[in-house]
Amino acid sequence: MHLLLVGISHRTAPVELRERLDFQARGVATALRALAARGSTREAVVVSTCNRAEVYAACDDAERTRTDLVSFLTDFHGLDSATLRPHLYHLVDLDVTRHLFRVAAGLDSQVVGEPQILGQVKEALTAASAEQAAGPLLHRLFHSSFGVGKRVRTETGIGAGAVSIGFAAVALARKIFGNLNGRNVLVVGAGEMGKLTAIHMKSQGVNRITIVSRTMAHAARTAEAIGGASAAPWEDIDAALSASDIVITATGAASPILTKGRIETIMRPRRNQPLFIIDIALPRDVEPAAGEIEQVFLYNIDDLQTTVRENMARRESEIARAQAIVGEEVDRFDGWLRSRGAISTVVALRKHFEQIRRSELDRLEPKLATLPPEAKERLEDITHLLIEKLLLTPTEQLKALGGDPETVGAYGEALTRLFGLDDAETERPARGRVEPFPGPKSRSSGGSGR
Amino acid sequence: MNVLPLALYALACAAYVWHFARRNPLLGRAATTLLVAAAMAHTFVIGMETMEFGQIPIAGTTSAISTFVWLLALAYLYTEMTTDERAMGAFILPLIVAFQAIPALNPGVESPAAVLQGPFFGLHVSSLMFAYASFALACVIGITYVLLFKEIKAKHLGFFYARLPSLQILDSMNQRAIVVGWIFLTIGLIVGAVWPPQARISAAGVEDPRVQAISLLDPKIFLALVCWLVYSFEAFAARRIGWGGRRAAYLSAIGFVIVMLNFVPISYFVNNSHDF
Repeated sequence: MHLLLVGISHRTAPVELRERLDFQARGVATALRALAARGSTREAVVVSTCNRAEVYAACDDAERTRTDLVSFLTDFHGLDSATLRPHLYHLVDLDVTRHLFRVAAGLDSQVVGEPQILGQVKEALTAASAEQAAGPLLHRLFHSSFGVGKRVRTETGIGAGAVSIGFAAVALARKIFGNLNGRNVLVVGAGEMGKLTAIHMKSQGVNRITIVSRTMAHAARTAEAIGGASAAPWEDIDAALSASDIVITATGAASPILTKGRIETIMRPRRNQPLFIIDIALPRDVEPAAGEIEQVFLYNIDDLQTTVRENMARRESEIARAQAIVGEEVDRFDGWLRSRGAISTVVALRKHFEQIRRSELDRLEPKLATLPPEAKERLEDITHLLIEKLLLTPTEQLKALGGDPETVGAYGEALTRLFGLDDAETERPARGRVEPFPGPKSRSSGGSGR
Repeated sequence: MNVLPLALYALACAAYVWHFARRNPLLGRAATTLLVAAAMAHTFVIGMETMEFGQIPIAGTTSAISTFVWLLALAYLYTEMTTDERAMGAFILPLIVAFQAIPALNPGVESPAAVLQGPFFGLHVSSLMFAYASFALACVIGITYVLLFKEIKAKHLGFFYARLPSLQILDSMNQRAIVVGWIFLTIGLIVGAVWPPQARISAAGVEDPRVQAISLLDPKIFLALVCWLVYSFEAFAARRIGWGGRRAAYLSAIGFVIVMLNFVPISYFVNNSHDF
């Protein structure tokens, strides 16, 4: 069986095309059903985020399935193949493994090390499992990728440090106040940037968000957009300041609104409780000298941008280590894949032998009917043991193969031919008649114990 | 006997510092394991000494330091286990190693003087030891607070920013350690004030000149009262008048310097009444 991947990502396709290939619009489940109906894949998982649309598949004929997956993408999204083809990439076998591991580790993300992607990959597998589209191979592949994602994040600094202004502000606030539950946020100015930063703060569970703007209507509108925030008139700014722990200023004022003196006066009634001021306005809303006040932490947009840049650089420097981990894990998965090739032959061989044993015993049933039960049981044990002994060496040899897939393939092929282990035969007992294993096996294990 | 705990503390110290620099969770667990082993070995040593003298080895500066280190290690382990925060270990352990070196390299065990028997003495010294251990913890937490505070204030988010818990957590840990220390300091001082007259009565006839010398002018007692004032201020007044954060952190450092001055040099060189 082969692993196959066909897809597009932010690296190969512009946002307009990615939007058209978004599976979320019609639902991943629908897509998986449509794909299953085509019958070209044995297993499939669809990973769909705003930055990528990828179909992972397990199939027998990689080339044929690849062609079919491309037509599936064009059919499902109603695109013509000429538009899509130049942006598509396709990978086979170990390259698929490496790619998925990189994706899960955040190495293929637009912002290196961003954490959401791992959750999105997990969701993709959950959706595929729900549709029974993912089988043992993709299950193993995806579960391994979760491990890689986790390992890379704990062993390297790839996900460390905030890499956007909003997150940088939140990270700083958390370093000052610890938990943000119960903290009060004041936003001065009703602009977009202030609103975005306030939304970040809100996601951290702050107690109260107050918006103050020169125009009360603007403040009210922004408060509504944030949700759960309240607006206050411009005159109440000092009262609002002394009741706040975090202040975000983002007005279009030409000169500073908050001077050092003004902040000093509000620090007294609040008994010097720490005050974190984020000044994201240009020109600045807060007098830089205000940062000298003992318990005031003042950061402007440049400061935040500097920390974001530093964090970015730190993440980049961790890429090599993350890639080394991905490499190790790909090797491990490869080892599993190879041993799995041999195991399927072992299983087929044992099934075949067991089937012969069963049918011979069934055939002889009329003649054996007169035997006492103990003798029949003994017969079961002896025939079972005989097969076990005959198969012991070949089983060990096959398991020890490990090595390159060609050797495994050659052995598999030879055994399949010699013993007639074609799929049809090995599958039949599993589906058709009653499974022959459980009965005799459990009996024999009881018997051999005596 | 105090050498084995010292060696284990030194190993734990190296592991904590290494863990702080590299932030490898495995190293952190190794550090904690080493510290637990050290504390257990130390418990054994102190247990042996207790059996030998019939009371906890707190009479005599050298053995008192050993007990102090032991309490500090236990207090730190408690903090680490309740907050799941290992960063502080890199700061506490050097202190532990430095102090433990004194009894380890100075092994003569003084047998306690006759007046130093009885429950009052035990309560007096062990409360003070526990108070000192808490203040040591508060001091180290205060120092880390200042380090982090400076990084955030200077907008240089570097080494400590990435490793220490938030200012708020450090501040409340400091506050808690100060209050616990203050309670024990108060108990120790009250018992210390009540006990000498009793000692005079019980030791009547063979009046110990050192007991007579106990007065407020004694440098050890005087400094202990200064400590009590400093910590009372920090525990109950400082934050009300807006002396939270960095000022409280500085206060706990100053308080601990006085404690240490009182504990080591004064005990060894200048003392007159507490020279047991």
